[in-house]
Amino acid sequence: MTGMLDGLRVLDLAGELLTYAGRMFADLGADVILVEPRGGSPARRVPPVVPGRGGGVSAHFAFMAAGKRSIEVDCGQPRGRDVFDRLVGLSDVALVHDDVDRHRGEGIDFASLQALNDRLVVACVSAFGASGPRRHWHGSDLVAWAASSSALQMGDADRPPIAPGGNLADTAGALNAAMGTMLALRARRRTGRGQEVDVSQQEAVMSVAMEAGPIHSLEGAVQKRTGPRRTGAWGLFPVKDGMVEIVPALAPQWDALAAWMAEALGVEEIASETFRGSTLDRMPYDELIQAWTMDLCSRYTKQEFFLEAQRRHIPCGPVNNAADLLEDPQLDAVGAWVDVQHPDVGSVRLPRGPVRFDGEATTVGAVPGVGEHTDDVLRSVLGMGDDEIEALRTWGAVGSG
Amino acid sequence: VPEPRVLPLDDLVVLEIGYGVAAPVCCRNLAEFGADVVKVESARRPDSLRTLGGGWMPPNTPWAIKRDAGIALGFTCPEKRSIGLEIEGDAGASAFRRLVARADVLVMNMSVDAVEELGLGYQELRALNPRLVHMNMAAFGSDGPYRSFRTWGGNLSALSGITELVGWPDRDPVGIPISFSDYIAALWGTVAVVAAIMRRDATGQGCEIGMAQYQAAIACIGPTVTQVALGGDVPHATGARRAGRAPHGIYPSRGDDRWVAITVLDDAMWEGMCRVRGLESLAADPRFSSLAGRLAREDALDEAVGAWTRARTEWEAADELQREGVAAAPVTSHWDVLKDPHLAAREFFRVLPSQRFRSDLTYGQAVVLSATPARFTRAAPSFGQHTRDVLSDVGYTDTEIDALVADGVAHVVQEPELGLERPFLSWIPHVMPLDWPPSRVDAAQIVFDELAARFNAPTGGHGA
Repeated sequence: MTGMLDGLRVLDLAGELLTYAGRMFADLGADVILVEPRGGSPARRVPPVVPGRGGGVSAHFAFMAAGKRSIEVDCGQPRGRDVFDRLVGLSDVALVHDDVDRHRGEGIDFASLQALNDRLVVACVSAFGASGPRRHWHGSDLVAWAASSSALQMGDADRPPIAPGGNLADTAGALNAAMGTMLALRARRRTGRGQEVDVSQQEAVMSVAMEAGPIHSLEGAVQKRTGPRRTGAWGLFPVKDGMVEIVPALAPQWDALAAWMAEALGVEEIASETFRGSTLDRMPYDELIQAWTMDLCSRYTKQEFFLEAQRRHIPCGPVNNAADLLEDPQLDAVGAWVDVQHPDVGSVRLPRGPVRFDGEATTVGAVPGVGEHTDDVLRSVLGMGDDEIEALRTWGAVGSG
Repeated sequence: VPEPRVLPLDDLVVLEIGYGVAAPVCCRNLAEFGADVVKVESARRPDSLRTLGGGWMPPNTPWAIKRDAGIALGFTCPEKRSIGLEIEGDAGASAFRRLVARADVLVMNMSVDAVEELGLGYQELRALNPRLVHMNMAAFGSDGPYRSFRTWGGNLSALSGITELVGWPDRDPVGIPISFSDYIAALWGTVAVVAAIMRRDATGQGCEIGMAQYQAAIACIGPTVTQVALGGDVPHATGARRAGRAPHGIYPSRGDDRWVAITVLDDAMWEGMCRVRGLESLAADPRFSSLAGRLAREDALDEAVGAWTRARTEWEAADELQREGVAAAPVTSHWDVLKDPHLAAREFFRVLPSQRFRSDLTYGQAVVLSATPARFTRAAPSFGQHTRDVLSDVGYTDTEIDALVADGVAHVVQEPELGLERPFLSWIPHVMPLDWPPSRVDAAQIVFDELAARFNAPTGGHGA
C-alpha cells in the first residue's frame, strides 16, 4: 500500500522550530519540502546536539527532518523569491512555526501566502495564538507549560515548579497543527479554498491536561506539588535499579496486587475485606499500604517487577529512560525502529509513527543534507531544465545541492 | 445570502466505544468539527470518566444520576450523542450492527483481546460495511509481547520514557499528573481518521487503523531517543533547565509560591534580556557574553536573574522581558487561567447547553480554523440522552425501543426532569463573564473568598 497522503505537497517553513507536524505528514506519504536558507536551516543546530565533527549532530533535526526533501534557496533575492513563490503556488500546505509577526516582513504569513495560492492551507503554531492581547508574546516548551497552569503542580513541594523534559509541549502544538491541517484539507474539498490554521501552544498544553486542569479545580481539587506521586499502592515506587509506576485503579487490580503482597511478604491481612474497595476507601490506611508496597517493590528490578505485575493483570510500567526504550522487546517486536540515512553520521535509528493502516506501518525516510534535493525539486515540481537550474545557481538564488 | 456553514466532517457518522481519554477525546475532535458522534455506552462497563469528580453530590445520590454529573466527561464528550446500549446480548448486538451498517467511522480504545471477545474486529464489521473506517487505539497495538498488558495513562508515561524526564537531577523523578499519552494518541488518531476518510473520498474503500498509544508517546520525546541512538548521553530529568539553553528556568517572583518562567533561545533573546531595566549588568559581565560561558556558570547566572525576578510580580517580570523579545511567562495557577483576559478574548472556555445542568463549562479547541472553525453548541450528553433518537435513526419503532429499554438492553436518561447545579455556579459568573445559566443560589461572597484563597489568587496586576 502506498502512503495515505500520497500526492499531497507540504512546504515546511518552520525555521528553527521544525515541528513534528511536518514529520507526521512525511511519514504518511506526503511530499514534504523543507525550505532552507543558503547555508542550511538553523534547525540543524537545535539541541540536543550529540558531539561530533563540525560542531556536532542535532538529534532534534535528525528526528524532525526525516523523510523530507531539502531545497536550499535564497528568498532574499528576487530570483530565489520567485522560486519560493512558485513552490507556494503548487503546494497544498505550508507549515509555519513561529511568532506571529516574525515573518510578516518577509511575506511568509497567511495573507501573503494565500495571495499566491488561495487553495493553500497555512498552519501556524505560536506561543499564544494569532489573536488576543498576548499574540505578540514569544514562547518555548517551558513557557507553554508555565502559561497553561500545569507547571505549578509539577515537582517537589520544597522547590520551584518544573516542567517535563523532552518536547512534549512542542509536540502537543504540532499535533494540533497537523489535525487542523487535515481538517482544513477536508473542508477544501467543499469550499475549494485553503484557510489559516491557528494553534496556540498555551491552549495546546491545556488541551492535553484537561483532567488535571482548571475546570477540575472548580470542583475542589487543590493544585500542589507533591514530589513523586504516590497514594497507597498507586503511583511511583523505588525498585532495586530505579522506579516503577503502579496504577491499580480498578477493584480487581487492587485484589491482584493485595494477593501478591500477601504471598510475597507473608502479610495475609492485606488481602482482607478491610482494604478492599476503592482507592478512596483505603485512604485511612495510606501509610501502611505504602510501606507494604515499598517492601514488595524493593525485592525486584524494574523489569522483573513490571513483568510479574502484568502477569497478574496489574497495570504497571517501569520508569524507562531513552536507552531502555532502544532495548525494549515490545518495540523491537512491532518494528518500531527504522534505520535511515543521515548525511553526517551515515545512519541513524529513529522511532516510527504509531499508526498502521490495514496492518501496514507508516514509513520513515532519510534525513536530508542541506539542499540535497534542490535540483530534484526544481525539476520535478517546477519543471525546470538543466540550463534554468544552472542559471539560478550562478546567480546564487539556490544552493549547490 | 450567506452560504450555509461548512464543517469539515459534517457528512460523517462516527460510533465511539471509548473509555477515559484516548478514544473519547479523538471523537470529541471529530464531533466539534462536524461529525455526528454517537457514544455507545454500557451501564455494566461505563466510561470511567462518567463518575470522576462530583464529590459535592450527596453520598446517597443514585449512580443513574451521578453518571451524568462527572465534570471530566464535560470536556471529553461535548457535541456527542449518547446511546445506552449493551452490545453483548443478541438484541443489543443486532442494534449495534445496524448502527455500524450506516456509520462512517468506529473508534475504540480497548485491548485487542476485548475487541475480539466483543466481536468488534475489523474483518467482522467490514462485512457489514466496506466503507467503514475502523480504529482501535490499544496501548500496545495488536501484537508483540505486551499486547495484552494493562495500562492507564500513568504507567504508560513511565514505560514510554516521559516520567524519567520530569524531576530534579539529584532526586527521584516525580512524573506528570496528567495522562499525556492518551491525549497525544487522541490527536494522532484524529489525523489518521481524517486521512483515511480523505482516501475513502477518492477510492470508496474504508480501512482498518491500528494505533499504538505506546508508540505515540515515544514519538513525543523523539529527539531525546534520537540523542541516544546517535551515541549521545542518556538524558535524565533536569528540573526546568534544558541542555544547550541558558538562562532557562523557573524563577521566584514576589509573593507566596509565585514564579516566572524565562527561556533564552538564541543570541537575539539574550541581547534583549540584557536591555531590560535592572538587568543591564548582565551585558557588562564578560562571563555571560557567550552561550558557552552562560552554560558553564548556570548557577551564578540563575542567581543574578533570580535577584531581579524576586523584586517583581511574575506578571511584571514576564511583561518586561516580553517587551524586549524574551520568551517568558508567569507560572500560572488554575485560577489565573480561568480569569485570564487573553484566553477570554480567544473564547477558550465555553458554556454550553446541557440536559442535566441547563448549561455547563468546558474547554474549547486549541486549533482555530479561520474559515471552518469548530462548533460549540452542546455540552456532553447525559447517559442515554439520545438512545431513542439514535435507535429510531436506524429504523426501530417506539414499541421496539420500549421493549429494549424494558429488557435492560437499552438505557434512557433517569429522572430527566431533575436539574442539577454545579456548586461553583453561585460565584463563577463574577469571575468569568460567560453566558451562564441563572443560579438558584445567591452569589455568596463568603464562598467566593474561600475559593479565591484556596486558588491562591494573585494580588498583583494582571499583565496583558
